[in-house]
Amino acid sequence: MNQTSRDRRRPLPSSLFAALLYVVMFVIYSINAPSAITLLGITDLLNNTIVLAIAAAGLTLVILAAELDLSSVGVIAVSNVIVATVSTKIPAGPFVSLLLVCSVGLLVGLINGWLVAFLGLQSLACTLGTMIMCQGVALVILDAPGGEVAAFIMNRLTDTVFGIIPVAGVILAAVVSGWLLLRRTRLGIAIYAVGTDAVASHLTGINVKRTKLGVFGLAGIAYGLAGYMLSAQTGTGDPRVSNSFLLYVFAAVAIGGTSLGGGRGGVIGGVIGAGILTVMQKLLFAVGVADFYTNIFSGLIMVVAILFGNLSAILTLRQRVPLIRRPNREYSVH
Amino acid sequence: MDNTQSRTVSFTMLAVRPETITAVLVLLATVVMMLAMKALNPTFGSMGQIAAILTTSIFLVIASYGQGLVILLGGIDLSIGVVMSIAGMIIAGLTNGSNEALVWAIPVTLLSCFAIGLVNGLGVAFLKVPPFIMTLAVATAAFGVALGVTAGSSQRTVAPALQLLMSAQICGIPIPVLLIVCFFAAGSLLQSRTAEGRKLYAIGSSIAAARIVGLPIEALTVAAYGVSGLCASLAGMLLAGYSSGATLDMGDPFLMPSIAAVVIGGASVTGGKGIYFGTFAGAIFLSALSTIITVLSLSQGWRNIIQGGIIIIALILQTKQWYLQKMANRRLTGQGLANRALSQTSKV
Repeated sequence: MNQTSRDRRRPLPSSLFAALLYVVMFVIYSINAPSAITLLGITDLLNNTIVLAIAAAGLTLVILAAELDLSSVGVIAVSNVIVATVSTKIPAGPFVSLLLVCSVGLLVGLINGWLVAFLGLQSLACTLGTMIMCQGVALVILDAPGGEVAAFIMNRLTDTVFGIIPVAGVILAAVVSGWLLLRRTRLGIAIYAVGTDAVASHLTGINVKRTKLGVFGLAGIAYGLAGYMLSAQTGTGDPRVSNSFLLYVFAAVAIGGTSLGGGRGGVIGGVIGAGILTVMQKLLFAVGVADFYTNIFSGLIMVVAILFGNLSAILTLRQRVPLIRRPNREYSVH
Repeated sequence: MDNTQSRTVSFTMLAVRPETITAVLVLLATVVMMLAMKALNPTFGSMGQIAAILTTSIFLVIASYGQGLVILLGGIDLSIGVVMSIAGMIIAGLTNGSNEALVWAIPVTLLSCFAIGLVNGLGVAFLKVPPFIMTLAVATAAFGVALGVTAGSSQRTVAPALQLLMSAQICGIPIPVLLIVCFFAAGSLLQSRTAEGRKLYAIGSSIAAARIVGLPIEALTVAAYGVSGLCASLAGMLLAGYSSGATLDMGDPFLMPSIAAVVIGGASVTGGKGIYFGTFAGAIFLSALSTIITVLSLSQGWRNIIQGGIIIIALILQTKQWYLQKMANRRLTGQGLANRALSQTSKV
């Protein structure tokens, strides 16, 4: 009894509204495209979601610490061309290239973190710089779309385990459980503290600089992984990842209920946000909306997502206030 | 009275604004870079080539003015590239090779791009959407509309008068260079010498203070994004005239440099700091750099790497400069600080 009443006092998770929205969108989508609820359809949907979901997970960490990171498209492009040029050329290519893209992501992330935390640069501007540089590096490695991704990566990562569980789903579950673990570590708690109030957390003894460095580093690894998964999807290398992907990553984070001001939200929300955007695209395709209108839709969705994020923040805050004032209030029905 | 006036002036002369120093340094760096290039490659740096660098810098000089105003407010405009392309497409589509149509085609182009800027501003000011998301979203949506309307077709003929404007000379000076001089004078005056311009600095420095003072924050924010749309549209029309045609992606290569120019010019991306002279110097620098990269026949990849690197180096130098300034300020006596404050207020 005691236990349950304590649980009830906890504020609603900010990703709850996103989860509800996802369910609604998925139902509408499966009505329009009945194949969506088959194993093949679900595998396909997860495969389409995973790149955005991992990138959004990485960005969420940075945004939780009240910084911004535009370098995701750059790192994804670099990882993609690395996998496309390396994975078939060397022994154990798939594993070596995985290691390689993670290290490259980590390196870029640490550079970002160092510039932001230790040199005190504005994160938006300096990650813009690293993004442009990464896109340049991608173009230097591979100056035109091409290259070849190892068949092992393409087949295994888009398939199912034991014929019933999509691999993408397993990876998503791994990302989410990694987050659940991280949230309980010192770093995880420090991220929220730094994002809410950097000065106050510095005064309580949290190492703000190291936290920000860690956040950018982890985000970099996530972008590297996202690039790896992108290569598995496309099977080829393309040095130009479009800037609208950047918009989608931010949209996913915002829809997931993570406040762009930092300190509120979580990775699960970002993953669900990525799911919503992917279902929306598939829905538009299933309904037969012309290709170029999806541009207009994604612009609209982005703005609506931010407003929605603001709204859900307000709603969760409203929820929290009476709970604090009247701690013994009982809710019979949720 | 007369005495205080002259003292204020002398202090103003003594304390040259750090932004001006940055701008002069950037221009010096441009000259040094050109001379180094000349030493490596004696055929480089003919009068014709310098004229060409200045002519092609006009797009960035104009587009980065709007970007500078928005960044002054602590925002950012990621729609500039798309707006430039759309402006080029509209002017090319409407004139379709005839000069008579220019009379109404130019206002229509300016107005439609002004409208895009206004949408940006309204979203940022009233819906409180973060600027980089609002402008990126509007850019994506506007690109979608343009793609739908034109069905992806690109090449159209621009009015010959626009093409002539970009290629003709008066007394041996290319017209674009004269346009740059006029635009620079007008832009500097508007940003630094008008009350509205100074209000932008106030809002960018502290939005809370600006609100308490009662400045029209929302209206000025919308206006700044509107002006940014106008500048991008002007740059887009000139670009269409220069390349005597328009494509849907011709403005894209100018987006990142427009931000880079502002940052290199010493403006703070958090707002409230920076003058147009700095942005102007940054634009000239990037234009010269771009020509040099072309002469060295480096690939697009290296171009990006150099550009990104320059943004980061400029940012690092900026923080160093602030640090030095802070140290210098600490050593100043209270009297010196008071005089400095006096000279600042007398400017407003």
